[in-house]
Amino acid sequence: MQTSNKLPREIAPGVFWLGDCLAQEYQGRPYHSYNAAFLLCGSDASMLVETGHPKDFPEIERQMIELLTPDRAPLKYLFITHQETPHSGGLGRVFQNWPDITVHGDIADYHLAFPQHADRLVPMEVGDEIDLGGRKFVAIEPVIRDLRTSLWGFDTGAKCLFPGDGFAYSHYHLDGHCGLLAEEATSLDLKDVLAVFAARALYWTTTTDMNIYVDKLEALMEELGVDVVAPTHGLPIRDLALTMPKVRDGLIADGDPEMTLGEARGAAQENAE
Amino acid sequence: MAYSGTTELSAGRVYALQNSFELNGRISAYPETARGYSVGNCYLLKEGDRAMLLDTGYAVNEQDILDQLGRLIEPDTPLSLFPLRINEFMSVSNAMAIAKRFNVVECFSNVPDIEDWIEFETLRGEERNPVLKTTLIERGDYSRVALSAGRLVDVLNAPIRLISTRWIHDEASKTLFSSDMFSHLWGDREDGPWLLGDNEDDDATDFAFVRSFLLNTRYWWIEGANLSPIRRAVADVYDRFDIDTIAPGYGTILRGRDHVERQFAVLDDVLGQLDRTNVAPTYVPRGLER
Repeated sequence: MQTSNKLPREIAPGVFWLGDCLAQEYQGRPYHSYNAAFLLCGSDASMLVETGHPKDFPEIERQMIELLTPDRAPLKYLFITHQETPHSGGLGRVFQNWPDITVHGDIADYHLAFPQHADRLVPMEVGDEIDLGGRKFVAIEPVIRDLRTSLWGFDTGAKCLFPGDGFAYSHYHLDGHCGLLAEEATSLDLKDVLAVFAARALYWTTTTDMNIYVDKLEALMEELGVDVVAPTHGLPIRDLALTMPKVRDGLIADGDPEMTLGEARGAAQENAE
Repeated sequence: MAYSGTTELSAGRVYALQNSFELNGRISAYPETARGYSVGNCYLLKEGDRAMLLDTGYAVNEQDILDQLGRLIEPDTPLSLFPLRINEFMSVSNAMAIAKRFNVVECFSNVPDIEDWIEFETLRGEERNPVLKTTLIERGDYSRVALSAGRLVDVLNAPIRLISTRWIHDEASKTLFSSDMFSHLWGDREDGPWLLGDNEDDDATDFAFVRSFLLNTRYWWIEGANLSPIRRAVADVYDRFDIDTIAPGYGTILRGRDHVERQFAVLDDVLGQLDRTNVAPTYVPRGLER
């Protein structure tokens, strides 16, 4: 069953969700996921967060042109959470289509993949800010990361977290979840779809005690005062009180089962003693 | 001056295409503080009139890699591409450039429609890139693919991995192509040497160095993790396959049984010491080097 793409969608004032679904099968069941990009519009400048999957770039480019009307601030910046191609694969095409844009984040490897644009790479570290006019984009600690070079972002305007792979989950195309917020996808079983993504793309999360990471994630979100979550792969989250407990349960369930129960931690402490 | 060299690892059957890059804190596969040089390694397997290329290299080396291939195969040689990590530029950057110049007959992949994953150019109007035929590799931890009727290669779901990664074992040359593992040997000189023979000493590999390399690259999470299944899977590779050469995706190639035994022994020791039964897991902030 195919449906027309429901994106772009404004998920918070000045924060637009871009991209299209990627259909995949897991254990005989169809799952969709996003490799999304987000357009963040300030009063002086706009920023693209992630470039999307290589397959999506023509669609994302079309959506950007549709959104970047003269009444919106021009696109000046691109921030990428990390170097995997579903996040950064459109980089060369962004460079080509927006010749004045500069690229921000941990810029490892891009000079090898796009050497002709190496002079437009600007490194960021945790705490560095970009002022978009009326809102700032801040590079923050990547709590649940992929490559060691991962960075997350935070928009001070809409209190929106851009966690890259941090909230990675699929959705049910057949239930009509495409283009919905997590809270609108009422039949979405977050435990199931987080597990599917962990098994396929975040293997490391299945080997360890995810309580550690979830505790850190919740502390970071509390500190920042996050109101909206704009994940690259999952459905955006607007109602944190409703959805975060389910995310917490799902992330912890992905972790190593014995460690989640605390048995292994006890054994390590005994050995240390 | 950048190094670009081709090394024959097995006469007429396996070639390493090596191209150097500087370690300047901006290479995700190396610790941020590593300095010096390393190489990106693509490998060409040949049998009869067919060939298979493992990884396609970074775009910065596109012309070098095309030239290296051009000295080893003809433009019409049926060539299979096999990116070992389809989400990383080192594996896929030059796939289309190679397909434009050589007779790429298929691309092995764990996902359908591989061309959706490797198209990095902006095409305008009537411009079209070659359409690559996707050959899906089987799900699961082990499968085999054919280079020719008489030469099959083993495809392994990498037993230790961060992202979706395949290792390849070539029985004909007794070579393990280990992608991002065993890639910890770099140097001060751009021109190498980038191969360590069986009569040469490996002065770098020991418990402390490998532990530090893994924790400071893409394996920060192994400290305090449940590593028993991973240790068993790595040991299974060592026990099951006849390996004389370790051919990583980055860095120095190791040739000789003594090197192979040492690499696996040190890796197992590191994984054992970092297992949850010996170390309690803790949160590791970005940038922490150990």
